[in-house]
Amino acid sequence: MAGQITELRGGRVYDPANGVDGEVRSIYLRDGRIVAAPSDPGEIRRTFDLDGCVVMAGGVDIHTHIGGGKVNLARMLLPEDHREDLVPRGRHPRMGCGHAAPSTLTVGYRYAEMGYTACFEPAMLPANARQAHLELGDTPIVDKGAYVLLGNDDLLLRMLAGKADGAQIRDYIAWTLRAAQAMAIKVVNPGGINAFKFNQRKLDLDEPNAHYGVTPRAVLQALADGIRQLGLPHPLHIHGCNLGVPGNLETTLATIAALDGLPAHLTHVQFHSYGTEGDRKFSSGAARVAEIVNRSPNISMDVGQVLFGQTVTESGDSMRQYAGSAFGSPKKSVLMDIECDAGCGVVPFKYKDKNFVNALQWAIGLELFLLVEDPWRLFLTTDHPNGAPFTTYPHLIRLLTDRSFRNDMLKTINPDAAAASTLGSLEREYSLYEIAIMTRAGPAKSLGLSELGQLGVGARADVAVYVEDADRERMFTTPRYVFKAGELIVENGRVIATPHGATHVVRVDYDRAIEPFVDDYFERYMTVRRRHLEVADGEIEDSGRGSLVVHGARRSA
Amino acid sequence: MPESAADPSVPPSTTYDAVTCPFCALLCDDLVVTSSAGRLSAGDNACPKARASFARPVPAATPLVDGKPTSYALAVAAAVKRLKKSRQPLIAGLGTDVDGVRAALLLAERCGAILDHRHGRALLNNLRVLQSRGQATTTLGEVRNRADLVVLVGASIDEDFHGFARRCLRPADALLPERLARRQILHLGPAAKLPRQPGVDAQSLPCRDEELLEILNAVRALRAGRSTRLKARRLQLVTTLVERIAAAEYAVFVWAPGQLGVDGDLVIGALCDLIADLNRTQRAAGLALGGNDGGQSALATAAWHTGYPLQLSYAGATIEYDPLRFDTARLLADGAVDLLLWISSFNPVLAPASDAPLVVLGLPGTPLRATGEDGNAIFLPVGTPGLDHAGRLMRTDGVVALPLAQLRALGLPSAAKVLADLAEGMV
Repeated sequence: MAGQITELRGGRVYDPANGVDGEVRSIYLRDGRIVAAPSDPGEIRRTFDLDGCVVMAGGVDIHTHIGGGKVNLARMLLPEDHREDLVPRGRHPRMGCGHAAPSTLTVGYRYAEMGYTACFEPAMLPANARQAHLELGDTPIVDKGAYVLLGNDDLLLRMLAGKADGAQIRDYIAWTLRAAQAMAIKVVNPGGINAFKFNQRKLDLDEPNAHYGVTPRAVLQALADGIRQLGLPHPLHIHGCNLGVPGNLETTLATIAALDGLPAHLTHVQFHSYGTEGDRKFSSGAARVAEIVNRSPNISMDVGQVLFGQTVTESGDSMRQYAGSAFGSPKKSVLMDIECDAGCGVVPFKYKDKNFVNALQWAIGLELFLLVEDPWRLFLTTDHPNGAPFTTYPHLIRLLTDRSFRNDMLKTINPDAAAASTLGSLEREYSLYEIAIMTRAGPAKSLGLSELGQLGVGARADVAVYVEDADRERMFTTPRYVFKAGELIVENGRVIATPHGATHVVRVDYDRAIEPFVDDYFERYMTVRRRHLEVADGEIEDSGRGSLVVHGARRSA
Repeated sequence: MPESAADPSVPPSTTYDAVTCPFCALLCDDLVVTSSAGRLSAGDNACPKARASFARPVPAATPLVDGKPTSYALAVAAAVKRLKKSRQPLIAGLGTDVDGVRAALLLAERCGAILDHRHGRALLNNLRVLQSRGQATTTLGEVRNRADLVVLVGASIDEDFHGFARRCLRPADALLPERLARRQILHLGPAAKLPRQPGVDAQSLPCRDEELLEILNAVRALRAGRSTRLKARRLQLVTTLVERIAAAEYAVFVWAPGQLGVDGDLVIGALCDLIADLNRTQRAAGLALGGNDGGQSALATAAWHTGYPLQLSYAGATIEYDPLRFDTARLLADGAVDLLLWISSFNPVLAPASDAPLVVLGLPGTPLRATGEDGNAIFLPVGTPGLDHAGRLMRTDGVVALPLAQLRALGLPSAAKVLADLAEGMV
């Protein structure tokens, strides 16, 4: 109600963006925003007594595969997985399915039911951007946005091979961001997806593409530097070379070195932290990766934690997904070469706690969490659904906050893997303050979303209220209340209202001369025109189904 | 929604370049179309099917309830009443765009309907293979630029998918011009399906549709060094295929799930197994040409809303996926549904014959029944996406969605609008 204030009274508040660490205080909401305590208590229209509750900003998931072609392929591939988790009529405002490849509707409801109010799809292809936004448009409640893929498109590789100047590459990056209505730029196996189309089966950091002669190092440097110069809020989001390959920790370290101080975000680092020690030639590289990350303030990362059970892996990395399909379960996978743009691979996977490799993957992820010191540069993800479905987050939070629980779990996994990991000796337990950083304040800051992930005056009134419980899994599974833009949307873990979340995009100026250049490329070679690739604002607003929030450069470029 | 290209201030005759054609799932987006007093004429880059479809005259139309002209509001109210009375409605045809499918899904949820598409069985041929063993596929742009060998398997591209030749098989230019220069097009299948349009230059490997499975299995066997029992004439054909495939750097196998015989899913399965064999050492991929009449959009939109592609049902406590049980022809033959809501906004397609009460969202002039009877039937005229209203459609490769613009203003509502009004009435 306009002009009327909702008071969230007396909860324990964790708001790291504003340095608030568990103080008991009240939060006031009005017109969708956090406001200061009113001087006139008569302005308070409704009060929620939050004695015994923990209050945080709504969760922000920086890396979750929730919409777009590969996600939809995974849905079509796995009817048997849906059958185990069908949402019955009446449970949510609309029916759907959950678990590994949930329907868009269920994704929105379940994130909200967990206290998350913003989710970012990290792998949108320009060629598939319209579909990705259609799916995000049908993802209720949560705010959303997407990172667009570059670095495997034949156009950029041609530009790099032809020694295009930095200004033209920057214009192309900025145009792509605008055309696909994206928030950030992602690179997946830099140049490797393209190389796989030329039948290259691996591509190391300094290995040239057989056709273009361009190396992953050159792709990374061009994109990271272009992004820095454009001033995009989120740095280059990197899924590096050699995902899943034993020994790839060296690639990860070399990638950090290749960035030479340029800001970058390394995603699902767990899958990139493997050594080759031991009888099975598979070991943890977490300590060495964490050591370098700790010393590299330009680097942020998310973990991509593996948790045991059936899931499906969905990735643009067709090269590595093809290699991984030999280990898939059930044995069926989708591989796609896509539109001279990128590719994808969808491989169902069952992580087993008694399997040495899977158990060590689990331990490596947790080691990374516990060894990387700065939670502002480390975000909580399972790379949904690649390490595990997002609905496992409360369990993961318990593993991080409760050492005795973690050690109990450690005793149940493959004993050789447990013995090969230092996990049992790591004493760290995350505080609620640090959890709030990793799941709220940190991701919002990294994405440049100054109004999200925090509870300061003027912030968007996205608030999650949990009943304090020593069992953090139970606590984070079912919030008492969730507010979205000031509206009560979840009560006792049940959705009671379904507002449409906004789509966040980043736009920066560029020289429009890039458009005729791209036009010419698309008319000569592609099967769509440039202007048909571009997603219009009206398509996202979509007759009231969505809205746009446009962000600019972090600083003037 | 994409903005309308129609503007009252424009002169009566307007020419649009780069129009997207909604009449097959290739969605060629470079047509030149002239709009004059409600009549459309497709010129440059339009295939014969597109020319005929854009030029199709649109008679005046009014909603009908049991043969009697009535207002839109009364016709919607009457349809809602019958939907409410129905114990098991079926929403079929589903010839509409993404927004139409979105609205159909909401309506289905509200009235407990079963959903199928006009091409549901053909789409299922592909899905069965996907769901049983997976697939390695490619997209139109990759075929155009990367392929040095394209094998059309039992597919005809002269009517539907006509633009595939111009845009993908034999384009003027490609990113890898040396591969375009040496590109070979093979056609495996009946001579009647061999591309006749100029410029394709396909080499025919003639066989009957019923032989495709055996031939593909023989190709796999020969590659694996196993013997086959094929007769000499067929063996020659198989040997040619094996040799050409072995020499290819990027081989693409093209099939049309709706043009194969009764063993279509087996043929596609054998092809996908062959592609999987090849990808162990070289690169190969498949491409299905299908999903016309919004079929690809229906699959994709249903999948992201429910997890399931078609055919599915909202009749129970949870969404149910059972392509065989929820097949239109079977449901109608068994008398398992008591109302058929038929949607056809691209072509004037007659609803399948049945005794069930009928609600048709169709193009003006579409008869309700082959017999001409119009009792127990409601007709709600709708426009065509990309001609009469803006919209979005998914392309055959399942990756690219294209925006459609409005080219004329005849006052016809979109199927999405009518379905949304019906869903509103069910609340």
